[in-house]
Amino acid sequence: MAMATLLSSSAAAVPTLVRALSLRRGGGLLHLRHPLAAASRGPLLRLGLLRPLSASAAGDNGAAAGGEGGRYDYDLFTIGAGSGGMRASRAAASLYGARSAVCEMPFATVASDGLGGVGGTCVLRGCVPKKLLVYASKYSHEFEESHGFGWTYGTDPKHDWNTLITNKNLELQRLVGVQTNMLKNSGVNIIEGRGKIVDPHTVSVGGKLYTAKNILIAVGSRPSMPDIPGIEHVINSDAALDLPSRPEKIAIVGGGYIALEFAGIFNGLNSDVHVFIRQKKVLRGFDEDVRDFVAEQMSLRGITFHNEQTPQAVTKSDDGFLTLETNKGTINGFSHVMFATGRKPNTKNLGLEEVGVKMDRHGAIVVDEFSRTSVDSIWAVGDVTNRVNLTPVALMEGGALAKTIFGNEPTKPDYSAVPSAVFSQPPIGQVGLTEEKAIEEYGDVDVYTSNFRPLRATLSGLLDCVYMKVIVCSNTNKVLGVHMCGEDAPEIIQGIAIAVKAGLTKQNFDATVGVHPTTAEELVTMRSPTRNVRRDTAAKN
Amino acid sequence: MLKDEDMAVADGGSYDYGLFVIGAGSGGVRGSRTSASFGAKVAICELPFHPISSDWQGGHGGTCVIRGCVPKKILVYGTSFPGEFEDSKNFGWDINGDINFNWKKLLENKTQEIVRLNRVYQRILGNSGVTMIEGAGCLVDSHTVEVAKPDGSKQRYTAKHILIATGSRAQRVNIPGKELAITSDEALSLEELPKHAIILGGGYIAVEFASIWKGMGAEVYLFYRKELPLRGFDDEMRAVVASNLQGRGIRLHPGTNLSDLSKTSDGIKVVTDKGEELIADVVLFATGRTPNSQRLNLEAVGVDVDQIGAIKVDEYSCTSVPNIWAVGYVTNRINLTPVALMEATCFSKTVFGGQPTKPDYRDVPCAVFSIPPLSVVGLSEQQALEEAKSDVLVYTSSFNPMKNSISKRQEKTIMKLVVDSETDRVLGASMCGPDAPEINPGWNSPVCC
Repeated sequence: MAMATLLSSSAAAVPTLVRALSLRRGGGLLHLRHPLAAASRGPLLRLGLLRPLSASAAGDNGAAAGGEGGRYDYDLFTIGAGSGGMRASRAAASLYGARSAVCEMPFATVASDGLGGVGGTCVLRGCVPKKLLVYASKYSHEFEESHGFGWTYGTDPKHDWNTLITNKNLELQRLVGVQTNMLKNSGVNIIEGRGKIVDPHTVSVGGKLYTAKNILIAVGSRPSMPDIPGIEHVINSDAALDLPSRPEKIAIVGGGYIALEFAGIFNGLNSDVHVFIRQKKVLRGFDEDVRDFVAEQMSLRGITFHNEQTPQAVTKSDDGFLTLETNKGTINGFSHVMFATGRKPNTKNLGLEEVGVKMDRHGAIVVDEFSRTSVDSIWAVGDVTNRVNLTPVALMEGGALAKTIFGNEPTKPDYSAVPSAVFSQPPIGQVGLTEEKAIEEYGDVDVYTSNFRPLRATLSGLLDCVYMKVIVCSNTNKVLGVHMCGEDAPEIIQGIAIAVKAGLTKQNFDATVGVHPTTAEELVTMRSPTRNVRRDTAAKN
Repeated sequence: MLKDEDMAVADGGSYDYGLFVIGAGSGGVRGSRTSASFGAKVAICELPFHPISSDWQGGHGGTCVIRGCVPKKILVYGTSFPGEFEDSKNFGWDINGDINFNWKKLLENKTQEIVRLNRVYQRILGNSGVTMIEGAGCLVDSHTVEVAKPDGSKQRYTAKHILIATGSRAQRVNIPGKELAITSDEALSLEELPKHAIILGGGYIAVEFASIWKGMGAEVYLFYRKELPLRGFDDEMRAVVASNLQGRGIRLHPGTNLSDLSKTSDGIKVVTDKGEELIADVVLFATGRTPNSQRLNLEAVGVDVDQIGAIKVDEYSCTSVPNIWAVGYVTNRINLTPVALMEATCFSKTVFGGQPTKPDYRDVPCAVFSIPPLSVVGLSEQQALEEAKSDVLVYTSSFNPMKNSISKRQEKTIMKLVVDSETDRVLGASMCGPDAPEINPGWNSPVCC
């Protein structure tokens, strides 16, 4: 009964749904017919992750079905086929019927002025290869853990770096193919080459000119390095993901998530790792307690931190080893020195200044809430705009843009409660405000914390711990932020992010029955606050 | 808040305790602690500790801590390593020599941990001011409990309120040779790892042990009556779990029961109802658990039970006798530790906190720790189709997790959302894949609300 209704009502409303976006790598969804579906229940229309939408192209700002069709080659021309560029161009084409093209440079593991690849940083030189290397490096800890569970080895497990990098690169090749197919299947025209803006409606790629009603810049960012003596001996994250051999002893300069993730990776693969940070603590901007906790846990795993040190020079000796000089001293004997000291928007040589697209002093393209630049027909999303530099945010910005331009529904990306993770070892997951920001904005907050040894560690005998914090507005009881550092934090935080974004209260959390035995259940069983901060009350008194 | 205690004293005929709890498992410990925190004078009786339960053996912490959730999870961790070692090869790891598994070491470490937790539970009770009495409790009348102590002596205690939280025990199917089979209690404490294991049962316990023994190198045969294991779960997910179990090498025998067990020199000979014969070192009956209500003298006192022996209670966990209450598995509502904890907390609030509180059974999440695991919350697709007032949208995602793209393990992760098309409310969420039990809990708040 219900099924029949669903079938008939849906069939008319969503003729294009079968072609709707598949949101993930190789993610089969939508039209899966499960073996069970046929027999007992009759055909059941499975819809994708997107809601049924009208497939007609939008009005005058978007895809012009008949009228302006001849004036421009495309309705949308996107420069850069990374996360943001791909999302926008595909949505424009497949959801709204826009004529969409994207240009992207040929694939390489290390980006340059002329090399990139479909998929962008996330797929080729960021999130994906990083996560694969994190997986590879976690096994050493697991081998150690296994002893407490009864496992021993005839000889110690050994790691072959080449096998890892080769398999990683094979996977990247496969993903470039997958991403390319995704673009093609969505009806987006792919043009290989480096794009440059010629005028508000024209992009040049490899000498050929393409006109478009709208131009989207989604060229992302690249690692930036300070200009110090010996910088030519230093590798960045691109190169670190593709080294010819395992570093014996590596200096990683930087205190952000990239530095910490690589520290964990190389440490897990048995390198001697030294992290140099300018600040007192790692991960500036993160919750203070999490900053302390993660550094402590990483130190317990053998990583050496050198705090409040600013790099001044790198020198290479005759035997090939590198020396890092900082304001506090000199350490030598490094096989590699890596700088993870920030990333810069890729805005050089795009023709932006000439066409009048405004940039800030970091080179990021300035956009309004709808991702529009200072030139009416030119838009920008993703890292190049330096808002919240995360893939899912670029996806959100790209999707919102397509809706705005072609869906006739001006849509602002919503930056509240954006969760994120750091794949350090142990990893971090967070959503919402840090304690410090919560106190600043809300004054009176209740803070619940838990610091415990998980079941797995009591058996393994290792020193792994888990830290969790839930920050609650004491007036409304809304959960303002959740922070966690420990195994599985990134997986755990995703569902929690839904709750925080929905504005759920501590009561809602408490009323939720936990799943036992898990680490996650701790988040819904924190009964007494660790501290009640009463800044506003104190101020009034 | 303290009115019950005050009334007891004011009554003149005062009771020894404001609350006497029989059974120090999840529900019993939570109920006693929280009642004590409301000012009640509380006593709790529990059998002496032993990993394998019996009429005379139990232990503080109860099934969950001693012979359920905790040791099970430890074994699941232990059995996951070989799969991980296998996956690590394509990430570059080479385990050149032998990989050896010392089951006795795992068993020892597991026992050490449950002993430690048992002591922690005792400490928690002590710190809460709860009087602990060792022995088997049973009812004499509606305000009196008699405890038979290990030394043979018996002592009676009076109480204004009595809470029964005696849990449940594994049951054996009544077939010839059933005494040759073991239950989950013994399975968690086997001296030797089986090389050939036969498991009868289709529920989560059967499925979890199948994964545990398979990972440790045994040949495992899983027999269950229905076409798929995990009856009551979402049908699509059941199929995924079955397919994963097979993928990992467990031999499934759906629609098959065991009819006879006999001892031979090669092991236990098992005959199925299809006439098949197999030999196994170990036969595990994971065919259900019965409430532990037989030796409590309930009928004499007037506490009603249902046909399987579960104590009948109202929405506040009150039995048919106004001052006798029951929580946890002995009431056979939703048999999960966090639910027993919820029932006990609500009980304390109702009886001693002056806040009548009913446990809320909507959208209780749960997980099955098969490999890979399953986690669900809310309605299954079948339930949603039956119960929803409007059309139901089903979103599924079936994908090869990133780790498998390198390890080359052929095992997809499935995620599913069931949504009311009119209200857009998420009615249910389920996932089968690595980390599902950790991922899903975050979904529970949003689904509940």
